[in-house]
Amino acid sequence: MGPDQGDNNGAPPPNWGVAFDLGLRLGISVILGVGGGLLLDSWLHTSPIFTLVGMVLGIGAAMYTIWDVAKQSMGR
Amino acid sequence: MVHVEIKAEELFAIGPLIVTNSMVGVLLASVVLLLATWWFTRRSAVVPSRGQSMIELPIEFLAGVVRGTGGKRWRQFAPLILAIFLYVLVANWLSLLPGVGTIGLAEEVDGEKIIVPFVRAGAADLNFTLGLALISFVAFIAFGLRANGLRGYLKELLIAEPAYMTPLLTPIHLISELSRVISLSMRLFGNVFAGEVLLATMLALTTATVFILPLAFVVPGVFLGLELLFGLVQALVFALLSMTYITLAIAEHRQHGSDDHSGEAPEQGAAPAHGSA
Repeated sequence: MGPDQGDNNGAPPPNWGVAFDLGLRLGISVILGVGGGLLLDSWLHTSPIFTLVGMVLGIGAAMYTIWDVAKQSMGR
Repeated sequence: MVHVEIKAEELFAIGPLIVTNSMVGVLLASVVLLLATWWFTRRSAVVPSRGQSMIELPIEFLAGVVRGTGGKRWRQFAPLILAIFLYVLVANWLSLLPGVGTIGLAEEVDGEKIIVPFVRAGAADLNFTLGLALISFVAFIAFGLRANGLRGYLKELLIAEPAYMTPLLTPIHLISELSRVISLSMRLFGNVFAGEVLLATMLALTTATVFILPLAFVVPGVFLGLELLFGLVQALVFALLSMTYITLAIAEHRQHGSDDHSGEAPEQGAAPAHGSA
Protein backbone atom coordinates (compact mmCIF):
# COMPACT_ATOMS: atom_id res chain seq x y z
CA MET A 1 0.00 0.00 0.00
CA GLY A 2 1.15 3.54 0.44
CA PRO A 3 3.62 5.14 2.79
CA ASP A 4 3.31 4.79 6.52
CA GLN A 5 1.82 8.18 7.02
CA GLY A 6 0.77 11.33 5.34
CA ASP A 7 -2.23 11.17 3.07
CA ASN A 8 -5.68 10.57 4.45
CA ASN A 9 -7.13 9.47 1.09
CA GLY A 10 -10.43 11.20 1.77
CA ALA A 11 -10.80 9.22 4.97
CA PRO A 12 -13.24 10.38 7.63
CA PRO A 13 -11.80 12.62 10.35
CA PRO A 14 -9.95 10.85 13.19
CA ASN A 15 -12.02 9.35 15.98
CA TRP A 16 -15.33 9.82 14.15
CA GLY A 17 -16.25 6.23 14.99
CA VAL A 18 -16.13 7.06 18.69
CA ALA A 19 -19.24 9.23 18.22
CA PHE A 20 -21.17 6.04 17.34
CA ASP A 21 -19.80 4.36 20.41
CA LEU A 22 -20.14 6.90 23.18
CA GLY A 23 -23.93 7.03 23.61
CA LEU A 24 -24.29 3.26 23.79
CA ARG A 25 -21.38 2.86 26.20
CA LEU A 26 -22.88 5.34 28.65
CA GLY A 27 -26.06 3.27 28.97
CA ILE A 28 -24.22 -0.05 29.03
CA SER A 29 -21.92 1.13 31.83
CA VAL A 30 -24.89 1.90 34.10
CA ILE A 31 -26.65 -1.36 33.15
CA LEU A 32 -23.48 -3.35 33.88
CA GLY A 33 -23.05 -1.70 37.28
CA VAL A 34 -26.67 -2.15 38.34
CA GLY A 35 -26.86 -5.67 36.87
CA GLY A 36 -23.68 -6.74 38.64
CA GLY A 37 -24.99 -5.27 41.89
CA LEU A 38 -28.31 -7.08 41.55
CA LEU A 39 -26.53 -10.38 40.90
CA LEU A 40 -24.26 -9.93 43.92
CA ASP A 41 -27.23 -8.99 46.11
CA SER A 42 -29.24 -12.04 45.06
CA TRP A 43 -26.20 -14.25 45.63
CA LEU A 44 -25.14 -12.81 49.01
CA HIS A 45 -28.66 -11.79 50.21
CA THR A 46 -27.50 -8.26 50.94
CA SER A 47 -30.13 -6.34 48.98
CA PRO A 48 -29.95 -3.42 48.22
CA ILE A 49 -26.34 -2.65 49.20
CA PHE A 50 -24.52 -3.93 46.12
CA THR A 51 -27.24 -2.68 43.79
CA LEU A 52 -26.66 0.84 45.07
CA VAL A 53 -22.88 0.43 44.98
CA GLY A 54 -23.15 -0.97 41.44
CA MET A 55 -25.32 1.94 40.37
CA VAL A 56 -22.79 4.44 41.69
CA LEU A 57 -19.94 2.57 39.99
CA GLY A 58 -21.92 2.31 36.73
CA ILE A 59 -22.68 6.02 36.68
CA GLY A 60 -19.04 6.67 37.58
CA ALA A 61 -17.93 4.45 34.69
CA ALA A 62 -20.22 6.36 32.33
CA MET A 63 -18.72 9.68 33.45
CA TYR A 64 -15.24 8.22 33.19
CA THR A 65 -15.99 7.13 29.61
CA ILE A 66 -17.03 10.68 28.67
CA TRP A 67 -13.90 12.10 30.28
CA ASP A 68 -11.70 9.51 28.58
CA VAL A 69 -13.18 10.05 25.11
CA ALA A 70 -13.01 13.85 25.50
CA LYS A 71 -9.37 13.61 26.58
CA GLN A 72 -8.52 11.40 23.60
CA SER A 73 -10.26 13.75 21.18
CA MET A 74 -8.52 16.81 22.62
CA GLY A 75 -5.21 14.94 22.47
CA ARG A 76 -5.58 14.70 18.70
CA MET B 1 -47.85 -13.41 8.83
CA VAL B 2 -44.85 -11.40 10.11
CA HIS B 3 -42.59 -13.64 12.13
CA VAL B 4 -39.06 -12.69 13.15
CA GLU B 5 -37.63 -14.71 15.99
CA ILE B 6 -35.05 -12.90 18.14
CA LYS B 7 -33.02 -16.06 18.60
CA ALA B 8 -31.76 -18.11 15.70
CA GLU B 9 -33.95 -21.11 14.84
CA GLU B 10 -32.57 -24.63 15.04
CA LEU B 11 -32.38 -26.48 11.72
CA PHE B 12 -30.75 -29.77 12.68
CA ALA B 13 -28.20 -31.19 15.08
CA ILE B 14 -24.91 -33.00 14.46
CA GLY B 15 -24.36 -34.80 17.74
CA PRO B 16 -24.18 -32.13 20.45
CA LEU B 17 -23.74 -29.35 17.86
CA ILE B 18 -27.01 -27.58 17.09
CA VAL B 19 -26.94 -25.98 13.66
CA THR B 20 -29.05 -22.82 13.43
CA ASN B 21 -30.06 -20.82 10.39
CA SER B 22 -27.80 -17.92 11.35
CA MET B 23 -24.86 -20.34 11.46
CA VAL B 24 -25.70 -21.26 7.87
CA GLY B 25 -25.69 -17.55 6.99
CA VAL B 26 -22.28 -17.03 8.59
CA LEU B 27 -20.88 -20.15 6.93
CA LEU B 28 -22.11 -18.89 3.55
CA ALA B 29 -20.37 -15.57 4.17
CA SER B 30 -17.15 -17.43 5.03
CA VAL B 31 -17.40 -19.55 1.88
CA VAL B 32 -18.02 -16.47 -0.29
CA LEU B 33 -15.03 -14.69 1.24
CA LEU B 34 -12.77 -17.75 0.87
CA LEU B 35 -13.80 -18.24 -2.77
CA ALA B 36 -13.28 -14.53 -3.47
CA THR B 37 -9.82 -14.72 -1.87
CA TRP B 38 -8.92 -17.81 -3.89
CA TRP B 39 -10.15 -16.23 -7.12
CA PHE B 40 -8.53 -12.89 -6.34
CA THR B 41 -5.10 -14.29 -5.49
CA ARG B 42 -5.07 -16.42 -8.66
CA ARG B 43 -6.19 -13.74 -11.10
CA SER B 44 -4.92 -10.49 -9.65
CA ALA B 45 -2.59 -8.40 -11.79
CA VAL B 46 -0.38 -5.39 -11.14
CA VAL B 47 -2.44 -3.46 -13.67
CA PRO B 48 -5.94 -4.27 -12.40
CA SER B 49 -8.83 -5.20 -14.65
CA ARG B 50 -12.22 -3.60 -14.21
CA GLY B 51 -13.44 -6.47 -11.98
CA GLN B 52 -10.30 -6.39 -9.88
CA SER B 53 -10.66 -2.64 -9.44
CA MET B 54 -14.22 -3.14 -8.20
CA ILE B 55 -13.02 -5.62 -5.57
CA GLU B 56 -10.05 -3.47 -4.61
CA LEU B 57 -12.18 -0.34 -4.17
CA PRO B 58 -13.59 -1.05 -0.66
CA ILE B 59 -10.29 -2.57 0.46
CA GLU B 60 -8.32 0.46 -0.73
CA PHE B 61 -10.83 2.77 0.93
CA LEU B 62 -10.58 1.09 4.32
CA ALA B 63 -6.82 0.72 4.01
CA GLY B 64 -6.72 4.49 3.47
CA VAL B 65 -8.79 5.05 6.60
CA VAL B 66 -6.58 2.73 8.68
CA ARG B 67 -3.44 4.36 7.27
CA GLY B 68 -4.78 7.84 7.99
CA THR B 69 -6.09 7.26 11.50
CA GLY B 70 -4.36 4.14 12.77
CA GLY B 71 -1.10 5.76 13.85
CA LYS B 72 2.40 4.63 13.01
CA ARG B 73 1.81 0.93 13.51
CA TRP B 74 -1.18 0.66 11.22
CA ARG B 75 0.42 -2.14 9.21
CA GLN B 76 0.30 -4.46 12.26
CA PHE B 77 -3.46 -4.42 12.63
CA ALA B 78 -4.66 -3.40 9.15
CA PRO B 79 -5.22 -7.07 8.07
CA LEU B 80 -7.40 -7.74 11.13
CA ILE B 81 -9.47 -4.59 10.60
CA LEU B 82 -9.91 -5.34 6.89
CA ALA B 83 -10.91 -8.94 7.66
CA ILE B 84 -13.51 -7.81 10.22
CA PHE B 85 -14.87 -5.21 7.79
CA LEU B 86 -15.18 -7.63 4.85
CA TYR B 87 -16.65 -10.41 7.00
CA VAL B 88 -19.37 -8.20 8.49
CA LEU B 89 -20.02 -6.55 5.12
CA VAL B 90 -20.43 -9.85 3.26
CA ALA B 91 -22.57 -11.33 6.06
CA ASN B 92 -24.81 -8.23 6.02
CA TRP B 93 -25.18 -8.05 2.25
CA LEU B 94 -25.79 -11.79 1.88
CA SER B 95 -28.85 -11.39 4.07
CA LEU B 96 -30.42 -9.15 1.42
CA LEU B 97 -30.35 -11.82 -1.28
CA PRO B 98 -33.69 -13.28 -2.38
CA GLY B 99 -34.57 -16.38 -0.39
CA VAL B 100 -32.60 -15.47 2.72
CA GLY B 101 -35.09 -15.27 5.57
CA THR B 102 -38.00 -16.18 3.32
CA ILE B 103 -37.45 -19.75 2.09
CA GLY B 104 -37.66 -22.42 4.75
CA LEU B 105 -39.68 -25.10 6.44
CA ALA B 106 -43.31 -24.45 7.36
CA GLU B 107 -43.97 -25.19 11.03
CA GLU B 108 -46.95 -24.78 13.26
CA VAL B 109 -46.35 -22.92 16.53
CA ASP B 110 -49.27 -22.18 18.88
CA GLY B 111 -51.75 -22.93 16.11
CA GLU B 112 -50.11 -20.51 13.67
CA LYS B 113 -48.16 -21.49 10.60
CA ILE B 114 -44.73 -19.88 10.43
CA ILE B 115 -41.74 -20.32 8.17
CA VAL B 116 -38.41 -21.30 9.69
CA PRO B 117 -35.93 -19.96 7.13
CA PHE B 118 -32.98 -22.07 6.03
CA VAL B 119 -30.67 -19.04 6.04
CA ARG B 120 -30.78 -16.00 8.28
CA ALA B 121 -28.58 -12.89 8.48
CA GLY B 122 -25.50 -13.82 10.50
CA ALA B 123 -25.38 -10.55 12.41
CA ALA B 124 -29.06 -10.92 13.38
CA ASP B 125 -27.80 -13.45 15.94
CA LEU B 126 -26.09 -12.09 19.06
CA ASN B 127 -23.74 -15.10 19.16
CA PHE B 128 -22.03 -13.97 15.95
CA THR B 129 -21.68 -10.31 16.92
CA LEU B 130 -20.52 -11.17 20.44
CA GLY B 131 -17.94 -13.56 19.00
CA LEU B 132 -16.59 -10.85 16.70
CA ALA B 133 -16.56 -8.33 19.56
CA LEU B 134 -14.59 -10.78 21.71
CA ILE B 135 -12.05 -11.24 18.91
CA SER B 136 -11.72 -7.47 18.73
CA PHE B 137 -11.43 -7.26 22.54
CA VAL B 138 -8.69 -9.90 22.65
CA ALA B 139 -6.90 -8.09 19.81
CA PHE B 140 -6.76 -4.74 21.57
CA ILE B 141 -5.68 -6.35 24.83
CA ALA B 142 -2.95 -8.19 22.91
CA PHE B 143 -1.75 -4.99 21.25
CA GLY B 144 -1.84 -3.23 24.64
CA LEU B 145 0.22 -6.03 26.17
CA ARG B 146 2.65 -5.92 23.29
CA ALA B 147 3.12 -2.19 23.65
CA ASN B 148 3.15 -1.94 27.47
CA GLY B 149 4.31 -5.39 28.56
CA LEU B 150 2.28 -7.45 31.07
CA ARG B 151 3.38 -5.44 34.08
CA GLY B 152 2.79 -2.09 32.46
CA TYR B 153 -0.57 -3.17 31.11
CA LEU B 154 -1.81 -4.48 34.48
CA LYS B 155 -0.51 -1.36 36.20
CA GLU B 156 -2.35 0.78 33.67
CA LEU B 157 -5.53 -1.26 34.09
CA LEU B 158 -5.63 -1.85 37.85
CA ILE B 159 -3.72 0.95 39.57
CA ALA B 160 -5.11 4.47 39.50
CA GLU B 161 -3.33 7.75 39.98
CA PRO B 162 -3.27 8.87 42.78
CA ALA B 163 -2.94 5.38 44.30
CA TYR B 164 -5.47 5.95 47.09
CA MET B 165 -8.20 6.23 44.42
CA THR B 166 -7.51 2.67 43.21
CA PRO B 167 -10.38 0.96 45.14
CA LEU B 168 -12.87 3.33 43.51
CA LEU B 169 -11.35 3.76 40.05
CA THR B 170 -10.38 0.16 39.30
CA PRO B 171 -13.97 -1.20 39.20
CA ILE B 172 -15.00 1.86 37.21
CA HIS B 173 -12.19 1.20 34.78
CA LEU B 174 -13.13 -2.49 34.47
CA ILE B 175 -16.79 -1.65 33.82
CA SER B 176 -15.73 0.87 31.19
CA GLU B 177 -13.52 -1.73 29.46
CA LEU B 178 -16.27 -4.36 29.52
CA SER B 179 -18.78 -1.90 28.10
CA ARG B 180 -16.72 -1.80 24.89
CA VAL B 181 -17.40 -5.47 24.12
CA ILE B 182 -21.11 -5.20 24.84
CA SER B 183 -21.41 -1.93 22.94
CA LEU B 184 -19.70 -3.41 19.85
CA SER B 185 -21.82 -6.55 19.82
CA MET B 186 -25.18 -4.99 20.72
CA ARG B 187 -24.88 -2.20 18.15
CA LEU B 188 -24.30 -4.56 15.23
CA PHE B 189 -26.90 -7.06 16.41
CA GLY B 190 -29.49 -4.34 17.11
CA ASN B 191 -29.09 -2.66 13.75
CA VAL B 192 -29.15 -5.83 11.66
CA PHE B 193 -32.00 -7.41 13.61
CA ALA B 194 -34.02 -4.19 13.38
CA GLY B 195 -33.38 -4.20 9.64
CA GLU B 196 -34.70 -7.77 9.39
CA VAL B 197 -37.86 -6.83 11.29
CA LEU B 198 -38.33 -3.71 9.16
CA LEU B 199 -37.99 -5.64 5.90
CA ALA B 200 -40.36 -8.39 7.08
CA THR B 201 -42.93 -5.78 8.15
CA MET B 202 -42.69 -3.86 4.88
CA LEU B 203 -43.04 -7.07 2.85
CA ALA B 204 -46.06 -8.12 4.90
CA LEU B 205 -47.69 -4.70 4.53
CA THR B 206 -47.17 -4.49 0.79
CA THR B 207 -47.94 -8.12 -0.08
CA ALA B 208 -51.62 -7.23 0.25
CA THR B 209 -51.18 -4.60 -2.45
CA VAL B 210 -49.51 -6.93 -4.92
CA PHE B 211 -52.16 -6.10 -7.52
CA ILE B 212 -51.63 -2.35 -7.16
CA LEU B 213 -48.34 -2.07 -8.96
CA PRO B 214 -45.75 -0.70 -8.44
CA LEU B 215 -46.31 -0.25 -4.67
CA ALA B 216 -45.67 -3.90 -3.86
CA PHE B 217 -42.22 -3.73 -5.43
CA VAL B 218 -41.17 -0.14 -4.86
CA VAL B 219 -41.64 0.06 -1.08
CA PRO B 220 -39.64 -3.09 -0.17
CA GLY B 221 -37.11 -2.05 -2.83
CA VAL B 222 -36.51 1.28 -1.11
CA PHE B 223 -35.97 -0.42 2.24
CA LEU B 224 -33.69 -3.04 0.68
CA GLY B 225 -31.59 -0.17 -0.70
CA LEU B 226 -31.44 1.40 2.74
CA GLU B 227 -30.40 -1.93 4.26
CA LEU B 228 -27.62 -2.12 1.68
CA LEU B 229 -26.34 1.21 2.97
CA PHE B 230 -26.83 0.32 6.65
CA GLY B 231 -24.96 -2.96 6.13
CA LEU B 232 -21.97 -1.02 4.80
CA VAL B 233 -22.12 1.60 7.56
CA GLN B 234 -22.38 -1.01 10.33
CA ALA B 235 -19.45 -2.99 8.93
CA LEU B 236 -17.44 0.23 8.75
CA VAL B 237 -18.38 1.30 12.28
CA PHE B 238 -17.50 -2.10 13.75
CA ALA B 239 -14.13 -2.18 11.98
CA LEU B 240 -13.25 1.43 12.78
CA LEU B 241 -14.16 1.13 16.45
CA SER B 242 -11.99 -1.97 16.70
CA MET B 243 -9.21 0.04 15.10
CA THR B 244 -9.77 2.97 17.47
CA TYR B 245 -9.52 0.68 20.50
CA ILE B 246 -6.30 -0.90 19.21
CA THR B 247 -4.83 2.50 18.38
CA LEU B 248 -5.65 3.72 21.88
CA ALA B 249 -4.12 0.63 23.48
CA ILE B 250 -0.89 1.37 21.63
CA ALA B 251 -1.12 5.14 22.20
CA GLU B 252 -1.32 4.69 25.99
CA HIS B 253 2.15 3.25 25.77
CA ARG B 254 3.45 6.27 23.90
CA GLN B 255 2.04 8.71 26.40
CA HIS B 256 3.52 6.94 29.39
CA GLY B 257 6.87 6.69 27.64
CA SER B 258 7.74 3.22 28.91
CA ASP B 259 10.04 0.81 27.09
CA ASP B 260 8.99 -0.65 23.79
CA HIS B 261 8.14 -4.34 24.09
CA SER B 262 7.11 -4.84 20.50
CA GLY B 263 10.61 -5.25 19.23
CA GLU B 264 10.20 -2.35 16.81
CA ALA B 265 12.49 0.60 16.41
CA PRO B 266 11.16 3.86 17.85
CA GLU B 267 9.38 5.85 15.22
CA GLN B 268 10.05 9.43 14.25
CA GLY B 269 7.47 12.11 14.83
CA ALA B 270 5.04 9.99 16.76
CA ALA B 271 1.42 11.08 16.68
CA PRO B 272 0.16 13.04 19.68
CA ALA B 273 -0.81 10.98 22.66
CA HIS B 274 -4.51 10.17 23.01
CA GLY B 275 -4.78 10.06 26.75
CA SER B 276 -4.90 7.16 29.10
CA ALA B 277 -7.78 4.80 29.56
